[in-house]
Amino acid sequence: MRRDGLLSGVRVLDLGEGVSAPCAARTLAWLGADVIKVEPPGGDFSRAVGPFPGGVPDSEKSALFLAMNAGKRGVSLDMDAADGRRRLLDLAASAHVVIDNHPLGWLDERGAGYGDLAARREDAILAQITPFGDWGPYAGYSAGDLSLFHMSANAHGMLGPVADPDSEPPIRAGGSQADQVAGMAAATAALAALFRLRTGGRGCHIVLSAFEAMATQAIAGLANIAFGGEPPTRQAADVKEASIGGQVAAIGGVLPCADGHVAISPREDAQWARWLNLMGDPEWATDPKYDTRAARQRNADSLWGLLADWTRRRSKYEIAREGQRRRVPCFPVNTISDLLSDAHLSERRFFVSLEHPSAGALAYPGVAYRLSAASLPLDRRPAPALGQHNDEVFA
Amino acid sequence: MTALLPLSGVRVADFSWIIAGPTATRHLALMGAEVIKVGSARRPDPSSNGSAFHVYNQSKRYAAMNLSQPRGKALAVELAALCDVVVENYAAGVFERLGLGYETLSAARPDLIMVASSGTGHSGPDRDYVAYGSLLQHYTGWNSVSGFPGGEPIKGGLWADPWVGMELAMITLAALVNRAETGAGQYVDFSMAEALSASLSQALIEYQMTGAEPTPMGNRDMFAAPSGVYGCAGNDRWLAVEIRDNAQWRALCETIGRRDLAALDSPAARKAREDDLDAAISAWTANRTDWGAFETLQSAGVPCAPSLDMGRLHAERQLNEGGYLTPVEYPDGRTPTLPTLPWRFDGARPAAARAAPQLGRDSDYVYRELLGLSADEVAELTDARVIY
Repeated sequence: MRRDGLLSGVRVLDLGEGVSAPCAARTLAWLGADVIKVEPPGGDFSRAVGPFPGGVPDSEKSALFLAMNAGKRGVSLDMDAADGRRRLLDLAASAHVVIDNHPLGWLDERGAGYGDLAARREDAILAQITPFGDWGPYAGYSAGDLSLFHMSANAHGMLGPVADPDSEPPIRAGGSQADQVAGMAAATAALAALFRLRTGGRGCHIVLSAFEAMATQAIAGLANIAFGGEPPTRQAADVKEASIGGQVAAIGGVLPCADGHVAISPREDAQWARWLNLMGDPEWATDPKYDTRAARQRNADSLWGLLADWTRRRSKYEIAREGQRRRVPCFPVNTISDLLSDAHLSERRFFVSLEHPSAGALAYPGVAYRLSAASLPLDRRPAPALGQHNDEVFA
Repeated sequence: MTALLPLSGVRVADFSWIIAGPTATRHLALMGAEVIKVGSARRPDPSSNGSAFHVYNQSKRYAAMNLSQPRGKALAVELAALCDVVVENYAAGVFERLGLGYETLSAARPDLIMVASSGTGHSGPDRDYVAYGSLLQHYTGWNSVSGFPGGEPIKGGLWADPWVGMELAMITLAALVNRAETGAGQYVDFSMAEALSASLSQALIEYQMTGAEPTPMGNRDMFAAPSGVYGCAGNDRWLAVEIRDNAQWRALCETIGRRDLAALDSPAARKAREDDLDAAISAWTANRTDWGAFETLQSAGVPCAPSLDMGRLHAERQLNEGGYLTPVEYPDGRTPTLPTLPWRFDGARPAAARAAPQLGRDSDYVYRELLGLSADEVAELTDARVIY
């Protein structure tokens, strides 16, 4: 059993700001890498993102910054000054992987492009996260989380079908998901490069396109088009059959409960029969309007009303528990605060408690994986204060 | 090209099906691993009827193996012994009940990396819950921060499985890096639900610090403004615009002819007048096409993009000219244009895109070449519906 993760001995420099690069580097930190976050003298811009406790801005109390930078050491230096550049290049020479998400050219202009890093360290791996890559007609164009969520067609199906597509715009998901997709893809690419290096290959310059990473979230839809399918419509009146992406009633959906909502998906006939059993086998169930999957789809609106009449008087937890006891696919619709008291997550020790000198003790979500032959250093340290490790790193 | 592929020489036995597991092994196959998908006509992969099968299973081999038969299980163990990685995504406990748990497989291959993905993970009170990705998006809080303020919970897109697929590939690579150094194999217990909840770290920490339940913000941002999608000429045509700094804001004001608004020189000042700013941008986009507005604003340095549907995404220039979407040759002469990997190494795309196989196409390769069976043995196993 390795106590210090899968990547101990690997050093990573996180030069990025905001979400994508910091998220990639945090993933590697959780896996045991020694990640040093390098911030400009004024700090990563995400330190200014609130909301803050009591509405008082505090660069050590940004939830976004704390979330994206847990597990890292932190230094500050001015890359626009000769001394800062020298320190950065020295530090980079000690690192196996460097991750950045500044605009194209930003590192090169500061004498810290891939060529500069490789001159100091032949096996350097630099992973640059960009909106569109350094290729193609949109190389150098600017786009963030909102733009890329929309451009990649992921926003199109997010609401499900709507009555009037011209007045109800597509929406993105909350929580910087597009940026995190870019970050996860960058961590994946960096590990692939590291594996190639460890197995006899060479270092490399990785350029990641966040747009393409988000298109990778849509590969099923892209395949449908590639094989001659029609793009799914947002117009509810034009939806002919249930699809998972557009989750309409026959295949599942969300019902109101006494304490929130429950999500159900009794899509197979046997699952539907077990769901009806949970409801006490109501008389309407044998009505030809509802007795086949196709009929349930056709009469979804009235069916959904009948289901809601029953669920509205009950708890989402009770319905989910009793439904799952009968092998019906159903779950409570959880809010953020619900997660913190979820018994299953608690039993799996999903949350990790970290004490931060300014923000205090907080439960951080951990990782989705448990390993048989390594434990992960998830409780190593919270996000660094600005310049916190300057002395030990530059000593 | 071959030297470029990072996973050349890595062999993966892929017992996974439907979406999340196959998406993970798709990434490994495109990176150059030899991925052998294993399945049976007895219980066909539910995704095999649709076009999505062709992306979930790009660049793989596909052998028939009936795990309901004792000899099928024995062959699975023999195959695992020749592989670096095994991936499965059955409901928790199913693979173990088949007699193919990590203890068994790692006895045959001590440094085996086995990645097992399920809805809620392989431990804990709810590990047997019947889960679909769409339901997990509700259970994990993922949908709770998405939607219009005050609206019903959103129905959600198809998000969980592709997100999990990439993360499964990531953790497989981390285990391979570790094995290259230490020689140690690994069993990875992966929870799809936790992968989604982990992506809500900001909201979870914000709630604990402020005491306020994070709620959906539609297309808006809690800090920056303006942030929205604006109606363009045509039906269901929109342009997303997101301003992060003063330089972008001044460029936008100049371009849309509203210099009077340029003096709002902080996110807070713009946030306070967000409705007015949205109206000003909408007035400008309303009689322009989304692509036209995109080019005009991008040339001024304003971050923006049209909100595309799948058809327009597939036809879009950047993905095609940049080689992310690439024509793949099929045995029947078709050349559908399919996705690859979203990055380049040293200016080249390290991805091997080949057509998805049909069940059994590579049975001979697996049983004759890898496992060394004779033609007679293969024929007998086929008759006995072990190779099936």
